[in-house]
Amino acid sequence: MTETRSDLLQGTLEMLVLKALSLEPMHGWGLSVRLRQLSGEVFDVNQGSLYPALQRMLRRGWVRSTWQASENNRRARYYEITREGRRQLEAQVAEWERSSGAVNRVLRFAFQGG
Amino acid sequence: MAWYHEVRSAWRDLVRPRPLERELDEELRFHLEMETQQNLNAGMVESEARRRAVRDFGGVERVKEEVRDERGARWLHDLGQDVRFAARSLRRRPGFTAIAALTLGLGIGATTTLFGVVKTALLTPLPYGHPEGVAVVWSAWKGFDQTWVSYDEWEGYDAYVGAFADIGLFSDGAVNLTGGVGEPERVRAGFVGENVFRILQVAPLLGRGFTPQEDRPGGPAVIVLGHGLWQRRYGGDPAIIGRAIQVGGRATTVVGVMPPGFRLPTDFDADGPTAAWLPLAQDAASQGAVPGPEYSADGMSHGFYSVARLAPGATTEVANAQLRALVARLGDEGIYPAEMQFRAFAVPVEQQVTGRVRPALLVALAGVGFVLLISCTNVAGLLLVRGEQRRRELAVRVALGAGSRRLARLLLTESLVLATLGGALGVGLAVLGVWLVRNTAPPALPRVADTTLDPVVLLFALAVTVCAALLSGVLPTLQATRLAPAAELKEGGRTATAGRERLRWRQALVAAEVALAVVLVVGAGLMIRSVSNLFAIDAGFRAEHVLTMRLSTPATWYPDSARVARFYDELQRRVTAIPGVTHAGAAYLLPLATEMGDWGLQVEGYTPPPHQGTPGDWQVVTPGYFEAMGLRLAAGRFIDERDHMEAPLVLVINRRFAKEYLAGREPLGARVRINGGPPDAWATVVGVVDDVRHNALTDEVKPQFYAPLAQFAVSPGNTLRSMTLVVHTATDPEALVRPVRAAIRDLDARLPVSEVRTMEQVVGQSIAEPRFAMELLGLFGVLALTLSAIGIFGIVSQVVASRYHEFGIRAALGAAPRDLMLLSVRAGLLQTGAGLAIGVVLALLLTRAMRGLLHGVAPTDPVTFAAVVLVTALVAVLASVGPARRAGRTNPVAVLHEG
Repeated sequence: MTETRSDLLQGTLEMLVLKALSLEPMHGWGLSVRLRQLSGEVFDVNQGSLYPALQRMLRRGWVRSTWQASENNRRARYYEITREGRRQLEAQVAEWERSSGAVNRVLRFAFQGG
Repeated sequence: MAWYHEVRSAWRDLVRPRPLERELDEELRFHLEMETQQNLNAGMVESEARRRAVRDFGGVERVKEEVRDERGARWLHDLGQDVRFAARSLRRRPGFTAIAALTLGLGIGATTTLFGVVKTALLTPLPYGHPEGVAVVWSAWKGFDQTWVSYDEWEGYDAYVGAFADIGLFSDGAVNLTGGVGEPERVRAGFVGENVFRILQVAPLLGRGFTPQEDRPGGPAVIVLGHGLWQRRYGGDPAIIGRAIQVGGRATTVVGVMPPGFRLPTDFDADGPTAAWLPLAQDAASQGAVPGPEYSADGMSHGFYSVARLAPGATTEVANAQLRALVARLGDEGIYPAEMQFRAFAVPVEQQVTGRVRPALLVALAGVGFVLLISCTNVAGLLLVRGEQRRRELAVRVALGAGSRRLARLLLTESLVLATLGGALGVGLAVLGVWLVRNTAPPALPRVADTTLDPVVLLFALAVTVCAALLSGVLPTLQATRLAPAAELKEGGRTATAGRERLRWRQALVAAEVALAVVLVVGAGLMIRSVSNLFAIDAGFRAEHVLTMRLSTPATWYPDSARVARFYDELQRRVTAIPGVTHAGAAYLLPLATEMGDWGLQVEGYTPPPHQGTPGDWQVVTPGYFEAMGLRLAAGRFIDERDHMEAPLVLVINRRFAKEYLAGREPLGARVRINGGPPDAWATVVGVVDDVRHNALTDEVKPQFYAPLAQFAVSPGNTLRSMTLVVHTATDPEALVRPVRAAIRDLDARLPVSEVRTMEQVVGQSIAEPRFAMELLGLFGVLALTLSAIGIFGIVSQVVASRYHEFGIRAALGAAPRDLMLLSVRAGLLQTGAGLAIGVVLALLLTRAMRGLLHGVAPTDPVTFAAVVLVTALVAVLASVGPARRAGRTNPVAVLHEG
């Protein structure tokens, strides 16, 4: 796997996690389920790769974590988006829309041209 | 605030990683259990549900590792691991580790010590407020490059030189302290104008400085004590302020105590600092000067140091321009004749204090930098060899997946650990070095003896250590990470080409080492030549077996010259009677210790050119001085007992005097009058002596005259109270210090004795800077040669080892041991030759910077260069002999069996 592609995946994963957390705090497993649902199983990457991403976002202060009782009354680590995280999300979404818009335009142009 | 989270995360990971690990475990377990549960709910059997959960998760341990990576302290953990690994690997080879660490330690220790010296002597600000605004003002004229200022000149500078916000006068001498506790004591004292402390911007620690009322002739007897004297003699008692102490037999009120470390700008040389200060107490009348900024046309006595505070925004350049303009005006007004070439100039106090020692220190610092480079080169060579021996180990690591960056980090960590060992050792050596400097630095080197190992110096040691790690580690690391693991492992480590390349690198390193050593040894050689030239200068006296000590006869106890003369007569009689003493006498000015100035004369039958006087450097002696100091008589006789106060006035002159003022005449019997004495006081020249280099070994000798102490009181009529006793001994002069002191005490127990030195010490101190540079460069040169010898020894050993098979075959084919030895020695000489060539060129370029330190030898002195080339080549051959003999003993049978 090349560096750029993993960066791309990483960035996308982060954006999706932030998006999910912006709705409600969740634990890691819950997040993985939500991501599977949200992306229609497109992002069926190894579930484990979620955790390094969460640790990275913790380190950067985009999310914070607390231990709480889960829905089946077990101790679970819940992640919550921070204000900095919301700012990041906005910025990433904007960037995403800009670049995906550009890709779309190129594709449309290539389509017409071809 | 992103960095805050980063740092907190890394910090937690470093300080308390265990709870983090527990939480990680729990979190991942929770995930897997939830996932398993979901699978069960979907209808899987238990084992299948668990297996699927683990599979979908994708490797628990790998995920954990990735999470740890994301905590942000990974590199620190890795570093710790690398350090532990390096330490283990270094411990396995204690011999290699010891040699490499010791080599680096020597370099780091020497560099740190010398940096400490340079920092103290050159970089630490002088103990004044805003020292950059302080300047020392000097006069100069024909024959005197830097001499004192007169009272009249000072008034003029004060009035006309706008660049000086304030300017003050001071002088130095010595006072006798008696009374209270302890022996009578003679201490160096400064006589300062009331504004001097203010100009230097140093406030007294206790009490106050002097007032204008105190600083005038006939003013009250007051004194300001130095911190050291106050602590030592007066027990640091703060109540001393306002009390009277006995100074020169006179009750003198202590008005202040200066802070520790305070010194006058002229206090940094061999004579040592002044310990107490009294008011200068001069005015125009007592100086025979015209009051106010006007100058008198004659009667100017140049006897004061002058220190100025520059006006805000002014520099010494501005001050010097204004001084030049003022002096030019005085020339126009005819006050200073043009022939006199009078000049006045200001020198920044920093330059005044450190100007003389600076070149010596900078050369020594450059030298020590070379030593450091050589030790790094040497260790780089050692690490290369080690890399060679570890090729298989490293190849295995690469094969097992260590990236080349990881490998490089590992190896650099190893040289960092090595350098840290060396650094620790170096700091230890620097402690020793600083102790040595503090205890053996010649007092003539300003501030050098104050060197300490302060935090800045330690920080410097740390920086040097890191540099040493990089310098010694980079090349071996680059070499080691260019491994091709497959080839290494397949060929069993016998890859000839890679080995040859590494050998070439080592050869280059050894050549570099030799080149650096050549530069250092050339520097040392030039200094040795220069200093031996200085010692070879005929000073005009004999320094061996001469003991000197200073004493004074204060006016309180010796009110007139007759009594002073009688004291010295009696002293000479008693000292000469001491067994082992051959001659004794006294002189006003000790050669190479106390500077000599000139006095206006009239020489009968000699008319000076218009506007020029007949100056002679003046010396006053007692009978016995010439013999004790070993001056050489050229004609006539020395001054002796006949020349007492009532006898006809006599003088002894030097050859230069005879040549200058008595050219073409018989000097003996010529008549000379000392200006200022009675008009008819003509003295007869009774002897001519060889020139004495009084002020400096390298100074031009001017006309000198010697007057008897007893007769100097008659003409010009001065009573001299401070003399230096000079004793020539048949044996070790230091052994006679006690009996001579005892003789003085028996004669008058009140008289303190100071500055007890042998004449050889005096001569040594007068050339302290070049000798200091010589000793250091000599030491560094020996170090450099030793390190290079180790390098050459190593390379020849390696060559011999790598050509073992070849030598065996050669021996089998009939090569004699001698041939094999020659072959190996040649391998060492190749590098040496290249190093010598590069080193000579480098030295030719660099030694030019030493010009100011050298006397009578050019920086490109061919003799020195030739000698250095020879010595280095010899060292190289000697270093090659050991391993070469091993080559000579190659046993062909053993080799062929192995093959």
